Amino acid sequence: MINKKLALDIINLSLETGADYSEIFYEDSHAQTVMVENGKVNTSTSSSLCGVGLRLLKGNRSVYGYTNDLSKNGLTKLAKNLSASFTGERVLTVNEFKEIKVENRNPIKDSYDNHPLEERIELIKVGINAINELNDPRIVRTQGAMSTTHRSVTIYNSKGKWFKRDTEFARMFFVVIAANQNGIETAFEGPGCQQDISYFKNQLNIKELAQKTAKTALLMLDAKECPSGKMDVVIGNAWGGVLFHESCGHPLEASAVSRELSPFAGKVGEMVASPVVSAYDDSTIPGAWGSIDIDDEGNPGEKRLLIKDGILQDYMIDDFNGRRMNREGNGACRRQNYRYCPTSRMSNTYIANGKSTPEEIIAATKLGLYAVSFKGGSVNPATGEFNFGCSEAYIIRDGKIAEPVKGATLIGKGHEILKDIDMVGNDLALGEGICGAASGSIRTCVGQPTLRIKNITVGGRGGELR
Amino acid sequence: MKYDYFFELAKQKGIEECELKISESYSLSFSLFHSEMDDYQVNNGYSIVARGLINGKFGTATCDVWNKEKAEFLVNEIVKNAKVIEDEDPMFIYKGDEKYRKINTYNKELFDVPADKKVQKLFELEKLLKEGNKISEVASVSYSETRSVNTLLNSHGLKLSQKNNYYFIVGEAVAKEGEQVKTGYDFLFSNNYNDIDVKKLADKIVEETTSQLGGEPCESGDYPVVLDNSCVASLLGAYLSSVDAEEVQKHTSLFEGKLNTKIASSKVTIEDRPLQRSLFARGFDDEGVATYNKPIIKKGVLMTYLYNLTTAAKDGVKSTGNGFGAAKIGTSPVFVYMKPGKKSLEELFQEVNNGVYITDIVGLHAGLDPQTGNFSLQSTGFLIKDGKKDRPLDIITVSGNLMKLFKDIKTLGSDSKSFISAVNCPSVIVKKLAIGGK
Repeated sequence: MINKKLALDIINLSLETGADYSEIFYEDSHAQTVMVENGKVNTSTSSSLCGVGLRLLKGNRSVYGYTNDLSKNGLTKLAKNLSASFTGERVLTVNEFKEIKVENRNPIKDSYDNHPLEERIELIKVGINAINELNDPRIVRTQGAMSTTHRSVTIYNSKGKWFKRDTEFARMFFVVIAANQNGIETAFEGPGCQQDISYFKNQLNIKELAQKTAKTALLMLDAKECPSGKMDVVIGNAWGGVLFHESCGHPLEASAVSRELSPFAGKVGEMVASPVVSAYDDSTIPGAWGSIDIDDEGNPGEKRLLIKDGILQDYMIDDFNGRRMNREGNGACRRQNYRYCPTSRMSNTYIANGKSTPEEIIAATKLGLYAVSFKGGSVNPATGEFNFGCSEAYIIRDGKIAEPVKGATLIGKGHEILKDIDMVGNDLALGEGICGAASGSIRTCVGQPTLRIKNITVGGRGGELR
Repeated sequence: MKYDYFFELAKQKGIEECELKISESYSLSFSLFHSEMDDYQVNNGYSIVARGLINGKFGTATCDVWNKEKAEFLVNEIVKNAKVIEDEDPMFIYKGDEKYRKINTYNKELFDVPADKKVQKLFELEKLLKEGNKISEVASVSYSETRSVNTLLNSHGLKLSQKNNYYFIVGEAVAKEGEQVKTGYDFLFSNNYNDIDVKKLADKIVEETTSQLGGEPCESGDYPVVLDNSCVASLLGAYLSSVDAEEVQKHTSLFEGKLNTKIASSKVTIEDRPLQRSLFARGFDDEGVATYNKPIIKKGVLMTYLYNLTTAAKDGVKSTGNGFGAAKIGTSPVFVYMKPGKKSLEELFQEVNNGVYITDIVGLHAGLDPQTGNFSLQSTGFLIKDGKKDRPLDIITVSGNLMKLFKDIKTLGSDSKSFISAVNCPSVIVKKLAIGGK
């Protein structure tokens, strides 16, 4: 533990050479992961994460360092090392810290630490047994796992703010690998939350989830290769939102916008999407996987309206990148752990409900692709170019879902396809994932209702769509 | 505090055999934006992975601070975790080999070069990039340097240690022409400060970025393809995931049942070279097994799978010294070396005459399935027309199957390059790949 007196000494020491902001991030977390492979527990690991990250800012310059030496000597050395990269006179002295009070929307009601490991294994096995009940010889390998994390973070900064927040989050996942003479297919589901074990016991239908994973792998096994070319694509709800996350979410982060390395830089108030598109980044959803009550700069979590009826409203901003934009942070500053310098990141990012039903959207599509879900994707924020691999997809023929296809990849430019969305459904749902970027891998939710994009490039090995 | 306390405590708590893997690292990194050092980091990291056997079952735990309390945490968690293991695979704490090759992957001189000199190189790089024709913005230039010491201690008295260091410089530029925006990057890494050639790096980045301007998709269809060495390196990583004996034993490897058979073109020879002089050289793996050089694919024939202690025991063979991982030990090659051919890149274009030159593929984690080998990837490249590199191609995908691709390698180039993913390989000609365009 780093007490206030030590924190005050270190912060003031670090400001000696002219830094205009200093912040101590102290973390003492522990996590547990247990994995069941082919019905048997094969890995169980506990980890403890404990260290301090110190960040100094001076104008547009940022200096960061971390150490596992939590003694006064260790921290003094870190502060001196970092402040030595500035040359100047002190501009700031901190006299005291005031606690920041924010609403706790994700309280720890019943810690995972109070439940034996065996209880988690039992839950995983509910899923594994459900897969085994399908009794399908094409299922060659199953994995089920659960990881739980208790994160304790204390922050002191030179604005005189301090806070300590403990959170717990958990994720369960299933992987099913199916094989036959056509090849091998892998399917994955991984729900997560910031709620206690009762969520997994009472709310999540583990049996259904695990069987759904297996059924997707089996279905894709016999699917034909996806055709390639330009076509209309209907994208499924929940995980379908990863497309918006990658192609529009990342370019709306201040880290890209403030350096004008984003196609959305300087476009607030302009039409950047089709008028049927509204989108949010909302870190205030209670218990949601990507929610935070307070960010790493001490700004409270917010529900940020990013796009309203096609018009760009705002970005995800942290205080540091906000300096280049003449803006204060809006609660979007995050990092994986003390080993990462924080920056602007997403939380729960989604396209809001529209007016169509998913059935109407399919029915209105004569010939196209129905991309139900994705394996993931990536984007170049500067050019907006993205790519996504579909994990489950079908051809739409005459307004009806027809044969399944595998190996589909969607590519394009985020800011362009936003304008090509012509129908938005009313079945908004979120999906949990891990987002990797400059400040590490963090918990985020993606989300959207079913929607349609006109004329997007699809890559596949199945020739032309007929 | 000494590590003895952990081993004594483990013994008291009934842990029969155990090990500690300790990693101490120091890193320095900085980047420039608009001629200002906007990010500067100095980190001192420390981490420990502990594994212990009770009744033949492994419990594992990790921490990053070393004191009495954390030693107790590791021991208690090992006991707790070992108790729930049901899997019956054989598990080992290694007694050690007779000989280990001494590896030199540390260059003290790099550490002695003052930070300002390194910063200066970056300013030079940024300036050269800015001056580049059609370059509208320097997206980033950064330098990072890591020094680490990895030590393995176990209850059999095995004590192994290796020290290494290297730096990595990367620059990314943006070029604009009308509505079109393109980015390009390149990098260099070494542990010898004198290897830094800023001019050469800047020229490559500018060329990489601006040459893509004016691109349009090509007609969709099958084309003969020259795959740039960087693309070969990315695809090799995915291809070789099938050489892991665990994947073979669990029936999810493309190479199952293919040992000593021809799986690739006879032009293809791929080796694992842990003992070759490189930044990636390793004298022992994460289980303490001595490493050695070996062919994986020789003239198209699969010569071996890669083993750790557990998968080797299951197949009744010796570990190949490829057990790597933190809490769970998997398998991976140390330094992949693909034997080059004799033709220059220009000669490869001549041989293809009309086709596509692919210079970049992205999104492998989503667009490539290592288990079927099928891929469909967003790509960047150029048309090859009349034996020469022609106009750039924008928004295209390249699709195929890894197994087929390596069978279809017709000619290898002489332009071998090392990548930070520990792969050294040349550009190649692939007979046919599906290109998705317009």
